Amino acid sequence: MRRFGFRLEPRSDLPKWLPWAVPVGSFFAALLVGAIVLGVTGQNPLSVYARIVDRAFISEGAFSGTLVSATPLLFTGLCAAVAFRIGFFNIGGEGQFVMGAIFGSGIALKLGADAPGVLSVAAMIVFGAIGGGLWALIPGILKARFRTNEIITSLMLNYVAAVIATYLIFDSNSFWRELSGSGAVFPKGKVLPTVAWWPKLDFGSIIVPFGFLLGMVIAGWLYALQRKTRFGFEMRVVGGAPTTARYAGMKPTRVVVAVAALSGALAGIGGATDVGNFRHILDPKGLQQSGFGYAGIVVAALARLNPVAVVFVAILLGGITNAGYALRGPDFPAGLVGVLQGLILFCTLGGEVLARYRITRSARPSGVETTLEPA
Amino acid sequence: MDTKPSHSNRRFRSVGIVALALLGVFAVVATACGKSSSSGSSSGGTVKAAWIYVGPINDGGWTQAHNAGREFVATQLGSKVQTTYKENVPEGPEVAQVINDLIKDGNKIIFATSYGYKEAMQAAAQANPTVKFEMATGDSITLGQTVPSNYNEYYGAGEDSLYVTGIAAGKATKNNTIGVSAPFPIPEVIRGINAFTLGAQSVNPAAKVNVVWTKTWFDPAVERQSAESLVSAGADTLFSHQDSPSAGEVAKANNLPWFGYDSDQSGSYSSVWQTAATYNWGPFELSEVNKVIDGTWKQNNYYGTIADNFTGLAQYGSTVAAATKSAMDAEVAKAKAGDAKAFGWYWGLADRQDQDGKTVITKGQTLTMKDLYTMSYFVKGISGSPKG
Repeated sequence: MRRFGFRLEPRSDLPKWLPWAVPVGSFFAALLVGAIVLGVTGQNPLSVYARIVDRAFISEGAFSGTLVSATPLLFTGLCAAVAFRIGFFNIGGEGQFVMGAIFGSGIALKLGADAPGVLSVAAMIVFGAIGGGLWALIPGILKARFRTNEIITSLMLNYVAAVIATYLIFDSNSFWRELSGSGAVFPKGKVLPTVAWWPKLDFGSIIVPFGFLLGMVIAGWLYALQRKTRFGFEMRVVGGAPTTARYAGMKPTRVVVAVAALSGALAGIGGATDVGNFRHILDPKGLQQSGFGYAGIVVAALARLNPVAVVFVAILLGGITNAGYALRGPDFPAGLVGVLQGLILFCTLGGEVLARYRITRSARPSGVETTLEPA
Repeated sequence: MDTKPSHSNRRFRSVGIVALALLGVFAVVATACGKSSSSGSSSGGTVKAAWIYVGPINDGGWTQAHNAGREFVATQLGSKVQTTYKENVPEGPEVAQVINDLIKDGNKIIFATSYGYKEAMQAAAQANPTVKFEMATGDSITLGQTVPSNYNEYYGAGEDSLYVTGIAAGKATKNNTIGVSAPFPIPEVIRGINAFTLGAQSVNPAAKVNVVWTKTWFDPAVERQSAESLVSAGADTLFSHQDSPSAGEVAKANNLPWFGYDSDQSGSYSSVWQTAATYNWGPFELSEVNKVIDGTWKQNNYYGTIADNFTGLAQYGSTVAAATKSAMDAEVAKAKAGDAKAFGWYWGLADRQDQDGKTVITKGQTLTMKDLYTMSYFVKGISGSPKG
């Protein structure tokens, strides 16, 4: 930096509005840069943005579609937000989501068509949480016990989960697989009994999936957990200063394991939602194509790891995803949708730097390398 | 450090700029939104038709062939049709959104080109009786399931082209071992490999076929590995029933005759290229769009053949012997001489046994579409499990 006559200097005073103004400003900066990209590729940026807003939020049924895309992102976003807050970099939301889908669909199929719907849905939530939670416990315990790098272990377990799901449907006559009817033609999962289909609540023009409401409640609960409870306090201390935590008599390893399980459970409930609310079958290929777990990391980053903000960011990114399908076509390559999404992420994370540091002109002549001054 | 007036001034200025920019963007988006609300209905005299693809339009195989079909319809009908497509659409809850978007845009006929879209297409057909829904590779009608009357399924006898392809493979192999990379153990693929094997055995009764499952339609790295494993297990001729040509690289490196699937790769792999079974989606789709235009569209559960030009063969490679070419052409002529609805002329040429030696087709038997759509056995001479 200094070579160019500028340098980054940590801000010592953080105005209250700044941490929120920066992501919002960055978002609009992304729109401006995006407008240039669109202009260069021969699109009219205004009509493209208008179409995004229209097809994501305004036109008939658009917001309902956006909530379908937002629901899985809400859960994987919470999964990443909770874990990253204490410095446990759980990249395994993807695999935990899949395990949640496996466990959730498994219990719904086991309970069958005669079980009361409430019981089936409740059991799916619990089993989804258990599936995802257990899967995340593996990197959690490895980290706490052996200081294994959780980024690697949780990431690798994503592939294992994907292979397990594929095995259950494509490579074995498992309990999850439909073997009669059209299942004899193409390998696919058993359809859940309709009692286990999660409700979709109809608020006039907007249909809200039950899973989304559940996610909102959980987000509120997480917020309270982090702010108001002893465990939340421990999470903050462990995340900010593990050594201090140890001196204060806390057990950082225990907190890490607990948060890993919590984080995985959130993604796991997301997986149960995916099966219960939308697909109604265990669909390994569809899950793999969607990549909700990785998108959740983006959601958490944009939300600055705040569980309540995750709800809104999930809706925003869900809306862009949903509108992205409306945009793509002969004149609009699918890749350009990805470029717009990438720009938003890039600008927001870039803006993050500006929120924490200020750019100042170097006092010394440029080109001279010196050691960094203490902040 | 930050009490210097110049700093806070600068900050103020930048905050002002950001705020202004935000306002500007908001205003512009808001006005543009107001304007866009009139779009979405089909304009007079032009019918809107849409295609949904599972891959990118340049995948060098399946989706590319479908997109060629769309382009064919667009060129043939000119201003009478306005076509659009959605590429890279996952087979999941998202499809319903995509279909709804297409309906909102005023499309009157929608072609979905991957099996996983089937449920969403049927649900959308139920909800939108004025729109026609065309499901490529769908099997619900053939299997006797109830579907809405504005929903149709179409596909074709790719296995017939594979039978002809098999003739070249039977001639090409020297050690009588042909390796096949296959995607999923489903009837569509199983009957294709059976037909290919019967074709090879028709000219070379000793020919053996080894099958390796890749469990993917499109994954160049996995396809390549499967071809390599077939070569190391002794195959001297390769056939990849996959969407990418990456097995061709392996064939090229080992200088082995190679058969592709659903696209003509004779140019890029000329040293090893034999031929491939191809699909020609355009003519059928054209006739369906035409029927929407003149109001005569009806569910028809179409199964295309070589005779009506739905399935065919890619250009023969330069290394294919002249005698082999004429043997293949003779079979194609047989297929074309039949009635356009005739497919699978070869299945009942003799009693056919499965891998365990049980007779599964008797001499003279004609297979129905249902027989084909539920085929779950491998014929004798194939090693590998039809269960995956």
